Amino acid sequence: MSLHEFLSMGGYAQYVWPAYALFFVMLIADYLAAGTRRRRVLKELRGRMARQKAREARRRS
Amino acid sequence: MSGARVSSACAAVLRRDLLLAWRRRGDMALPVLYALIVATLFPFALGPEAQLLARIAGGVVLVTVLLAMLLAFDGLFRPDLEDGSLEQLMLAPQPLPLLLAMKIAAHWLTTALPLMVIAPLMAGMYHLPWPAMKVLLLALLIATPLLSLLGAVLVALTAGTRRSGMLLALMLLPLCVPVVIFAAGAVTAAQQGLPWVAPIAWLGAALALALVLAPLACAAALRIALDA
Amino acid sequence: MNKLVYWYHKLGSPPTFYRFAGVLRPWCLAIALILAVIGLYGGLYLAPADYQQGDAYRIIFIHVPSAWMSLFIYGVMAVAALVAVVWRMKMAEVIAMQSAPIGAAFTFITLCTGSLWGKPMWGTWWTWDARLTSELVLLFIYLGIIGLFHAFEDRRHGARAACFLILVGVVNLPIVHYSVVWWNTLHQGTTVRIFGKSNITTSMLWPLLVMMFSTKFYYAASLFGRARADLLDLESGKAWVKQIASDEEARS
Repeated sequence: MSLHEFLSMGGYAQYVWPAYALFFVMLIADYLAAGTRRRRVLKELRGRMARQKAREARRRS
Repeated sequence: MSGARVSSACAAVLRRDLLLAWRRRGDMALPVLYALIVATLFPFALGPEAQLLARIAGGVVLVTVLLAMLLAFDGLFRPDLEDGSLEQLMLAPQPLPLLLAMKIAAHWLTTALPLMVIAPLMAGMYHLPWPAMKVLLLALLIATPLLSLLGAVLVALTAGTRRSGMLLALMLLPLCVPVVIFAAGAVTAAQQGLPWVAPIAWLGAALALALVLAPLACAAALRIALDA
Repeated sequence: MNKLVYWYHKLGSPPTFYRFAGVLRPWCLAIALILAVIGLYGGLYLAPADYQQGDAYRIIFIHVPSAWMSLFIYGVMAVAALVAVVWRMKMAEVIAMQSAPIGAAFTFITLCTGSLWGKPMWGTWWTWDARLTSELVLLFIYLGIIGLFHAFEDRRHGARAACFLILVGVVNLPIVHYSVVWWNTLHQGTTVRIFGKSNITTSMLWPLLVMMFSTKFYYAASLFGRARADLLDLESGKAWVKQIASDEEARS
């Protein structure tokens, strides 16, 4: 089977490939969302910790 | 706790809710007006052929009544939550499910019953023949308390949130799909001259089950939502 | 039995679960990817074209595993929700709530791929078939759960309310399915049989099963990732989270 034949999917390429694309796009987006959220949460937390440290330093001085 | 005191507490809750609803009669008319408006708009969109209107009459009336009830659900617990009387109810020594059942009953009497009164009028506007109209009224008589009970559980769940009409609609949709299917199925069957008792019987069975379980679920949901 | 109870308590503690999930997550993803490559090679390349449906049937290798996942994830959520409502276990709430978006994603994929499959086969994007309609209702149930969770100011509060809604859905889902089947026979609509006359052959079946396992492992990986991020958010005042935050800063 040639590559062209494989890609044309017996004339159903316009249905098969969008379905597969949707499947992978949705799942990749879903997977990446967790990492993005984790980084955002940690960044916010570090910001909060830095502010707290600054406040304590000011109080001590 | 004697039985007499439980029943008098239930009666007091019912009387209070009915009285409050009577004092705000204008609010009671709103869902009815809404249903009438929706029912009036359909023929403008679909055309006035009597045959077509008669065919869709049962479905239109049912969905319209359902949407009008959805509109009124927000008033089930929110006023009581805002003035604090809901917390009093939850602290009362009487079993909460019973008291909530009374509240749901009062809500059904004040919102669904007026809708049932105008349902024949709406069905008449759509030229629904009389034998099917009887089945429609019977279906409504069973389906509306069922919807009130199911809706009350969800309203209780959203009690602790900000105003959330759309969320309630989204949550209610999966629950009301079977109710609409069986109620409309009975009307369609009656229109086609087929036996319509089976779907009505299913609805009745669901109502019997909901009468027992929904107040319990409603009480549990309210305790979760308000974190008592 | 004692060991089971021990692990139940151990994994119920957020820092332990965080570490455990962090170790397992890459492995789950790797297994999911390897299985997906094998399954799709078998499904897209090795399996012959269906004699009735031609190559269009190849959508089955993602459609059916997604449909299974949409129900499987709801099952996981139901168990977690029961634990959360009865024992108020924090980890169970996290698992139930973080599974919901993944389940919704799989349900959405099922609907869209089903529609892409339906267009060449039945000549329409959508029919009010019993299975399709039930799947659509399932999507609404998922969206309702996610919506309720986010409607509350307090996250644990919202999680408990949403867990209750999950349990309501468990009762409702079979009722919806059977009523829709009944409705479909009443209206004599287009009844669609996916596996028409052509019985599924081994060459088509094994890639399907491999894809089923692949999506299961993917779900585990995605759930672990989401649960980890959620735990950091939920416990952001605790010492172990602060430790992770400063460790990560030092590394970057």
